[in-house]
Amino acid sequence: MPIARFVERILHLIPVLAGVSVIVFLMISLTPGDPVEIMLGDQRATPEQVASMRRDMGLDRPAVERYFVFVTNAIRGDFGQSFFHRRPVSAVISERLPATIELTVAAMLIAIGLAIPLGVLAAVRRDTILDRIATVGSLFGVSLPGFWFGILLILFFAVQLQILPVAGRLGYAMEVPAVTGFALVDSLIAGRMDSFWEVLRHLALPAFTLGLPSAAILMRVTRSAMIEVLRADYITFAEAKGLSRARIIGLHALKNALIPAVSVAALETGTLLGGNMVVETVFGWPGLGRLVVESIFARNYPLVQAAVLLYAVTYVALNFAADLLYTVLNPRVRL
Amino acid sequence: MKEQVQNASGDAGTPLLAIQGLRTWFETDRGIVRAVDGIDLDVRRGECLGVVGESGSGKSATFASVMGLIRKPGRIVEGSIRFDGTELTSLDDRARRAMRGRDLAMTMQDALTALNPALRVGTQIIEVLRAHDQAASRSAATARAIELMQLVGIPAAESRIADYPHQFSGGMRQRIMIAIALACRPRLLIADEPTTALDVTIQAQVLDLIAGLRAKLGMSVVLITHNLGVVAAYCDRVAVLYAGQVVELGPTAEVIAAPRHPYTEGLLRSLPKLEDLDHPIEPIVGQVPDLISAPEGCRFAARCPHRRDSCAAAVAMRHVSPGRQVRCVLAEGAAP
Repeated sequence: MPIARFVERILHLIPVLAGVSVIVFLMISLTPGDPVEIMLGDQRATPEQVASMRRDMGLDRPAVERYFVFVTNAIRGDFGQSFFHRRPVSAVISERLPATIELTVAAMLIAIGLAIPLGVLAAVRRDTILDRIATVGSLFGVSLPGFWFGILLILFFAVQLQILPVAGRLGYAMEVPAVTGFALVDSLIAGRMDSFWEVLRHLALPAFTLGLPSAAILMRVTRSAMIEVLRADYITFAEAKGLSRARIIGLHALKNALIPAVSVAALETGTLLGGNMVVETVFGWPGLGRLVVESIFARNYPLVQAAVLLYAVTYVALNFAADLLYTVLNPRVRL
Repeated sequence: MKEQVQNASGDAGTPLLAIQGLRTWFETDRGIVRAVDGIDLDVRRGECLGVVGESGSGKSATFASVMGLIRKPGRIVEGSIRFDGTELTSLDDRARRAMRGRDLAMTMQDALTALNPALRVGTQIIEVLRAHDQAASRSAATARAIELMQLVGIPAAESRIADYPHQFSGGMRQRIMIAIALACRPRLLIADEPTTALDVTIQAQVLDLIAGLRAKLGMSVVLITHNLGVVAAYCDRVAVLYAGQVVELGPTAEVIAAPRHPYTEGLLRSLPKLEDLDHPIEPIVGQVPDLISAPEGCRFAARCPHRRDSCAAAVAMRHVSPGRQVRCVLAEGAAP
């Protein structure tokens, strides 16, 4: 792809992000009542304390000025102080982010690992029992609410069978020094295979719960794309060439069917960020999702603002990545 | 071009491909579509056979059956397809696949849809060589692919091998498809409407290319088309198909000069005449019969200007002169 087009695409992201920043900024301004009092909630505070907090948050200045201060600070990674952690928001978030990324990547790997083979198989064996099971199964996958399904999994695998842990990320005895914050990577750095295995065991249920709905959607997209592609002339021509069935399906058909699947996968990864809040809460996973849920209940607005902005940026970035991947898979498309 | 090329592995006297009593039916919700309904046809060694008919005449389904590319809900109900002495209909999938692309090859109507848009043309040429063990190594296969691209007249083949199909012009894409079909030096090339998707100026180039390669490689060619002009220029013999059956078969020059079946006559009359452009084109009135409930007798009777009572009974192919057969009650002539 020409560099100029690439730069142009990146520049297109600026208005989107600007819009998001306005909405995030307005979150506080549009909250009915005095944000300081809402944030203080039931806590008793003297009028002096309230006034000093208003000053700290810059609420005594005009909205336009506050917006530009907010944006310039945000670009520098400064989202103010997390009210109840009494530490910078950015520090609190970056501490929790790796756990969420770890969970999301694991969920997406499970989703892709299930969806692509099942979707291909369902398309190739169309209208067989296998196809029906996969299609009906995907309906369940989409419809099951995460919190309920997660609890079911806990009851079965952790309580009944007792083969997987109930919640959390790593037992205290297994703690490894945090270098990257990614427990799997840190375990490897520390050379602790027992910890690595333990993280995987903790990861299994939440990742599966989080990934299942995406797997279901991705499976359907893959299936219908494959059915469409298998009807194409180039598949007949590939057969006329005497190629093996494996090559026709695995290369000729799949490479074309993956084009729509990839965009959906990228969008789904964005959706997982939302799903994280529920799943992390159910499984006591110490990630960003749970932090955001806690912060919403605690009316910890600076943190919620930062998190929403981060979600938006991630979502936009994932879309951009999907477009890039699209051009790799589909040579006819240039950005 | 019309010389008979001796094939090393076979007897020059027997046809390369012999189709007998072929019936390929498609089971649809409306009923059984008898797309191919009793076709007898030979392709001789080294010849170019033209197969003519309108859409739904069964010409494509016949040769899809030969290639082993009939998919559900279609199936070969009965009949025999012998290729150089081997009965194809009784072979298992694996053996058939081994022959496809190696002994029998096919090109499709539109190279734009027949070539995979997501794969480089080099990959698409190389894979057919590799599938049939025609190249010892990847580099040998690449070299052979470049050679094939040069053979079909693609300029700067070395650099264009890494391009994708959409980067070529329509004519060049058609040439690449031909290169793929000819990669393993097949003995039979089935060219299904090779020019329909092309500009008129490119059509002749592609047909000349096929004719030239046929002479060079000594293969037989089946040219499926609805264009009698193409048949007249390139084919030794012609088979006219109507509603799933062969209705007229013979040397091209004879059939075109003196058609014996009313349908062939109608086809020729519906062509615009260069020497007499004021002469109105005469379309054949009526439509191809529904192949689910085709009439028992002559299938063309409903549209035939010479229809008579005897047309209601089934009509067999009649030998009218050496090498010429017609499926019509009016046709009389020499014993076979």
